[in-house]
Amino acid sequence: MKGASLVPTGEATLGPFFPPRYVDEGANDLTVFEGRKAKGEAIEIHGRVLQEDGTPLENLVVEIWQADAGGIFRHSADPRHAQADPDFLGWGRAATDASGNYRFKTVLPGAPEGRAPHINVMVMFSGLMRILKTTLFFEISSDPVLSAVPPGRKGLLVAKKQGPNSYRFDIRLRGEDETPFFDD
Amino acid sequence: MPSVIQPRDERTQPSRIVPGYPQTPLRNPQQSLVKRAPTLSELTGPLDAAKRVRLLGGDIAGHGGKQAIGQLIHLKVRVLDEDGAPVGGALVEMWQANAAGRYIHPNDDDRAPVDLNFYGAARLVTDESGAFELRTVKPGAYPVPTNDGWWRPPHVHFSMFGKVWLSRLVTQMYFPGEPLNAQDRILNAVPDAAARDRLVARYVPPTGNPPDALVFEHQIVLRGRASTPGQP
Ligand SMILES: [Fe+3]
Repeated sequence: MKGASLVPTGEATLGPFFPPRYVDEGANDLTVFEGRKAKGEAIEIHGRVLQEDGTPLENLVVEIWQADAGGIFRHSADPRHAQADPDFLGWGRAATDASGNYRFKTVLPGAPEGRAPHINVMVMFSGLMRILKTTLFFEISSDPVLSAVPPGRKGLLVAKKQGPNSYRFDIRLRGEDETPFFDD
Repeated sequence: MPSVIQPRDERTQPSRIVPGYPQTPLRNPQQSLVKRAPTLSELTGPLDAAKRVRLLGGDIAGHGGKQAIGQLIHLKVRVLDEDGAPVGGALVEMWQANAAGRYIHPNDDDRAPVDLNFYGAARLVTDESGAFELRTVKPGAYPVPTNDGWWRPPHVHFSMFGKVWLSRLVTQMYFPGEPLNAQDRILNAVPDAAARDRLVARYVPPTGNPPDALVFEHQIVLRGRASTPGQP
């Protein structure tokens, strides 16, 4: 099929009726996979998702994708994937509650080759015609993706440490302190 | 093989702010989106998300004395990458209204009847040829509570996982020949007419097989390819 070139299908909003059962019980807990515990330091990531007028958004879907504690992705494109933690899937899904809060349990990711430790985050919701993609960091550090963000906005991608194993990452879709999203 | 992800042709994707869709100006970024070169992190992704979720069969039209009301249809969908290569083993989530235009969801009001034999959601995995099939009923149209004459045409929602993070897709599939397609604000948010046409399923003239359902075919293309165009 070399030479065939198909155009990616157009995106559309998730709409207001995404089935609640698609946010499976436990899908926001990456520390356990198929009944086994992932290696590494367990952390909690939580935050609030707000629209421009400050209204918290309920039932908004957040998904994350990250490397394991050793900085390895569970994917054949990672040259080190054979050494990936078999008990870490790296993907999770959460929905926001009535106050706009989401919550994940995961492990602190290691640094993948050439990158600082980070978590990929995407947001899907009614009124979002395209998936919004951003990246959570744990500190301002040398990283090619963080470097692409205008200097004044980098801090918005750094999760705030709230306790020994707890980080807060608020997502503001539009307006003041708007979260930087990537042109993916 | 590592995936190559290229920038999109924006005309083939919907605008983020849609006239007459009141939530869009409140929820979409005002600042420019930040351009980045994809790294391994974005060029990998959950290949086995299906292990974390419960699958639900692709036959949601009911059986025996518990048949869903409506026009029985078979959807035959193929999922390909930009090279035309099948995307096998991909997690697919679908949901749709019943024949009366009603979802099973707390957000849907009671203007249209619930069909107790129709739940309206399936979650499955594509086969090696990138194909999946659904036996369902044709969804009904429904009015949007903007109360200004916007009705959603019959459509099926899909959420799909490709090979990498940047392949993730949320889309909707429409039906051919529906008068409401021409005025739908979501379908028509895609500027390019050919790209809009590709969101509409193809009606397959009946052959007697299956004897009881109309057949529609559809193709979904996820981002990513193995090679860059023009390479020998
Ligand atoms: Fe819908």
